[in-house]
Amino acid sequence: MRALRIAATGMGAQQLNVEVISNNIANMNTVGFKRQRAEFQDLLYQSIERQGAQSSEAGTVVPTGVQLGSGVKAGSVYRVTTQGNLVQTGNRFDLAIDGRGFLQVTLPSGETAYTRAGNLAVNDQGQLVTDDGYLIEPQITIPSDAKDVIISRTGQVQVVTEGQTAPTTVGQLEIAIFFNEGGLEAIGDNLFKESAASGPASVGTPGDVGYGQLVQGYTEASNVDAVSEITALIVAQRAYEMNSKVVTAADEMLQATSQLKS
Amino acid sequence: MENAGYIALSRQVTLRRELDIAANNIANADTAGFKVEQLLVQTEEGPKSRNEGIRGPGRFVLDNGVGRDFRAGTLGQTGRALDFAIEGDGFFQVGGENGERYTRDGRFTLDAQGRLVTAAGLPVLGEGGQEILLDPTKPEISVSADGIITQGGERVGKIGVVRFAALGVLSKDGDGLYVNPSNERPEAATDAKVRQGMVEESNVEPIVEITNLIEITRAYERMAKIVEQTNDLSRRSVERLGRVS
Repeated sequence: MRALRIAATGMGAQQLNVEVISNNIANMNTVGFKRQRAEFQDLLYQSIERQGAQSSEAGTVVPTGVQLGSGVKAGSVYRVTTQGNLVQTGNRFDLAIDGRGFLQVTLPSGETAYTRAGNLAVNDQGQLVTDDGYLIEPQITIPSDAKDVIISRTGQVQVVTEGQTAPTTVGQLEIAIFFNEGGLEAIGDNLFKESAASGPASVGTPGDVGYGQLVQGYTEASNVDAVSEITALIVAQRAYEMNSKVVTAADEMLQATSQLKS
Repeated sequence: MENAGYIALSRQVTLRRELDIAANNIANADTAGFKVEQLLVQTEEGPKSRNEGIRGPGRFVLDNGVGRDFRAGTLGQTGRALDFAIEGDGFFQVGGENGERYTRDGRFTLDAQGRLVTAAGLPVLGEGGQEILLDPTKPEISVSADGIITQGGERVGKIGVVRFAALGVLSKDGDGLYVNPSNERPEAATDAKVRQGMVEESNVEPIVEITNLIEITRAYERMAKIVEQTNDLSRRSVERLGRVS
């Protein structure tokens, strides 16, 4: 019974769908989180018979033939990289990116990762770091006597030190953009790594054409929309149920056959 | 004499296929651009009976094709800049290793070279069959209803929408793609509108499919009953006629 296997692919796909949705809901309050979406595609078709076969001596052909599908598969789990809301925090080291781009982070292994979670802080040496203490690239050190820190929309970091009125520039932040943001490899902790699908990073100054701007004192909320996620969850659950109905139907038919009296 | 059993069997064979197709429809109830399918059956006259005056030839059931309902699915809004739906008849053209493919599933993305590609990575073809190249350093693209892509005020290409005079020539290739094995060439669908930020949902109607499912199961059971009764009949006649009084 092909129908049993087809229904199994349908149930598997909906299960994956529920997993993706639950991850979205779980990360509803994660800074810089981008929701994911499971995309489904139909599986291979098998031409059972008579496709394009002649149906009469006059040369007429059967137009469609019998093509049986074999179910559904998850084509990809896509990351929807739309802008999340900017939430005011008042924290001077919080940076939200308004538009496209990622902050660059140096991992302890020396590799570069990318993030949109701009809830930054300074470490014991005054360097700008992420939540986990990973250094922001290019490195920026805030002097210990800094009274005030101003980060402009174009990424210029200025400090006002004790006893001075004019701000001095201590660094310039840069952001990276990709051909295909959806192709970045998520490695957890709000971090992404470059992959073959994403294309190479092109690093630039915030505010340039094609690059987003930095907004100090704000963080970017996740772009998960609770209402649409819950609706998607209901749809996924019902679709799962319908596929299980197919299993029941196929089972009943097999039963009708096996209970034939000889 | 045996005809009744064989006729019931011919129906059971088609019912099993109908179940396979209904299962595939239900499994793809959430697949963008999917079109619902249905088994087409016809009656096939069996060989003529010798004593034709008493009864006509048996009529068997034969499946002779799968029909696809190409009616549009609901357009769902996603807001993603690279999601497209076609309003009206027509297909997106996609380049493949084995020639052109056609699809209604417009969930496109960019690849590492900046080409507009499908979820499976096949390049989307513009008007004239060229690939569409986008520049990520420019602002987000916008697409007009006639498929013209502009990025930062400059025209960068046009999404080709084509249509077939007879949709029956298309056959499925999996991954939401259709292939055209015939010689008939598609023509440009000028009145079809491209909608950005929308996705055409599957046109499977769950209620219809579940009703079909029930019908198929019950019809199958009825046929099993006929097989059983035919069997019963011949068993009883052998018993009765073979009895030596």
